[in-house]
Amino acid sequence: MSRVLTIVRKEYLERVKSKSFIIGTVLGPVLMSLVIVVPLLVANSGADDERTIGVVDVSGEFFAPLQEALADQGRQGVRLLPLNSEGKSTEQCVEDLKRMILEESVHSGVVIADDFIDSREIAFYNKSVSSLVVRDEILRPALNRLLREGRFARVEVPDTLFNYLAARSDWTSISVTAEGGEEEQDEAVSFAMAFTLIMIIYIMVIMYGSHTLTAVIEEKSSRMVELLLASVTPGNLMLGKVLGIGLAGLTQFGIWAGAFFFLSQRGVSVGEVTLDVGFLTPVILVSFVVFFLLGFFLYATLYAGFGAMCNTVQDSQQFHTPLAMGLVIPMLLLSLVLRAPDSTLSVVLSLVPLFSPVLMFMRVCVETPPLWQIGLSWGLLVISIWLASRMAGKLFRMGILMYGASPNWATLFKVLRD
Amino acid sequence: MRGVSKHYGEKRAVDNVDLDIPRGSIYGFLGPNGAGKTTTIRAIMKIILPDAGDILFAGRPLDKRLRDRIGYLPEERGLYRKMKCVDQLAYLAELKGVGRRDARQRADHWLERMGLSEWRDRQVDALSKGMQQKIQFAATFIFEPDLVILDEVFSGLDPLNIELLRDMILEEKDKGTTVIFSTHMLSEAEKICDAICLIEGGEVIVDGTMADVRAGFPLRSVRVAWDGNVEPPAELAGVLHREFNEGTWQLTLAEGIDPPTLLPPLTAAGPLTLFSANRPTLNEIFLEAVARHRGEVPA
Repeated sequence: MSRVLTIVRKEYLERVKSKSFIIGTVLGPVLMSLVIVVPLLVANSGADDERTIGVVDVSGEFFAPLQEALADQGRQGVRLLPLNSEGKSTEQCVEDLKRMILEESVHSGVVIADDFIDSREIAFYNKSVSSLVVRDEILRPALNRLLREGRFARVEVPDTLFNYLAARSDWTSISVTAEGGEEEQDEAVSFAMAFTLIMIIYIMVIMYGSHTLTAVIEEKSSRMVELLLASVTPGNLMLGKVLGIGLAGLTQFGIWAGAFFFLSQRGVSVGEVTLDVGFLTPVILVSFVVFFLLGFFLYATLYAGFGAMCNTVQDSQQFHTPLAMGLVIPMLLLSLVLRAPDSTLSVVLSLVPLFSPVLMFMRVCVETPPLWQIGLSWGLLVISIWLASRMAGKLFRMGILMYGASPNWATLFKVLRD
Repeated sequence: MRGVSKHYGEKRAVDNVDLDIPRGSIYGFLGPNGAGKTTTIRAIMKIILPDAGDILFAGRPLDKRLRDRIGYLPEERGLYRKMKCVDQLAYLAELKGVGRRDARQRADHWLERMGLSEWRDRQVDALSKGMQQKIQFAATFIFEPDLVILDEVFSGLDPLNIELLRDMILEEKDKGTTVIFSTHMLSEAEKICDAICLIEGGEVIVDGTMADVRAGFPLRSVRVAWDGNVEPPAELAGVLHREFNEGTWQLTLAEGIDPPTLLPPLTAAGPLTLFSANRPTLNEIFLEAVARHRGEVPA
């Protein structure tokens, strides 16, 4: 056992002291927030870009109210350009508009019929599909409002009644906590936090899992392995490696978690999002650590076994990709499970050992699934780790001294069958 | 070693090997490339499991604890390229059960002994191949093993370093360490081995102490030289073959010819300045042993 600890210490220190570990620890959160913040920014900002929209207002009554309605909606980025002028027919104005769209001097354009209040007719001119955001999210609400106001005015509804009728519902979101209390929450932040934790599990498992693959291959290609096997059994060598690398991953996460708690205690905020530990309930925290460790051990043992069969990193690609798919598939299934976390399909998928570190943890984040399901997924993971380590141990013993021809799936199955 | 065999698929790597390695000796494990030396050694180290046969160490079956008393320098050897020399040695010592602090002290000691002290904190990458070989050599001895197995230890070394390592092997032997020394370079083995075995095609064809082995292969040639330009007599009874080389004549004798019987005709030919009976080299012994084994030449 002390030999295993010697290997664990060596593998651990080698990683923790490496430059890539330090850089990864610093850059990890930066990259992570980019991954999460950028899509949010992009989603919000698409409609706010500076845009000029040509307006052919045949009656001349609607240009000013439209400008006002857009300002009310907070669309400062949108500039309206009047295209009517004295002595030009509507057809000529429309021709001008088309030309300007093609020249890209305006983004798109609307033609407001002179009997708009009666006919409700609007023609929207555009060049690309991307302008549909402008049509549906910017122009349509504003013009609907003009139409409504125009019709109310025509039937002489008093302002007080108009305001009364135009009222909108007023919303607050409250999440119910297990302690029986209630608190206002920001779904966007909770979702971002859940997504962050899932990304951490996904990236860490795939990164540190494949570390074992390269570590084993390095040992083989540096011809170190025979020297080591004169001192330790292949099983202990594999165990020491997997444990040492896993500890390094846990250390990295520990540093992040520590920094996060430290910052959130001081109320530091990133952009408009205040760091909030309220989301991290004990169940989520414990699940995170357990799913990370179990997921890591499952993938790392498989990677170590496959690595022992390979001579070079290139050789290992054919085994690496299918294994990585085991983690990519649940990422693709995330939205499916998110939509119906309780459905039979979600429950079954989240119990599959290769998927559960991502999918079951996702379910833990969005709702608390029955404890037996969490326990069952842990149990299944432990059993799979045991099976995987037996299989990997066999591959390791057979493969570690195999040099020469690069392996393929056929030799792999042959070794496993023997 | 009793009846050890190992097959890889159809191929027979080692067949029914029976060997006794005397304690405290330097034992040469000799044979051409692919003869089965490395396979046999791996079986001793339990890196591979033999299909049949037993390996006993001091009369007991080899277990994990006994294996910790064996130092092994494999032919396929390397080092962690990004690790400091001192860490590397200490790590390998620890894996053989040496305590942590002790391991570092010994690592320093061995670096000094190898003349590599100034490279202590450098990464292995920075070392020449010869220096790396010396580190590997040190790693084999650092935990004071009772038995050391060196597989092709001299390959790729310059004569100076070969000399250095040879002296160290002899030094360790004097401390009572048994050394198994595998090589295909028979001339090196000849210089240091007390006992040898010759392996070919997975079978032991000759084994025993150097003296015993030599006794089985009598003299087969003499070297002769005369003052002046003299040639050996054209008709010489018992001489099969003659060759002139660097001022001396090499005469190959037929079987059963006693070298002194050649003296009278040779002295008669001219003023004889050199007459020496050649001890057969290990190379010659090996070639002849293989021929005998295949039944081409009677023993």
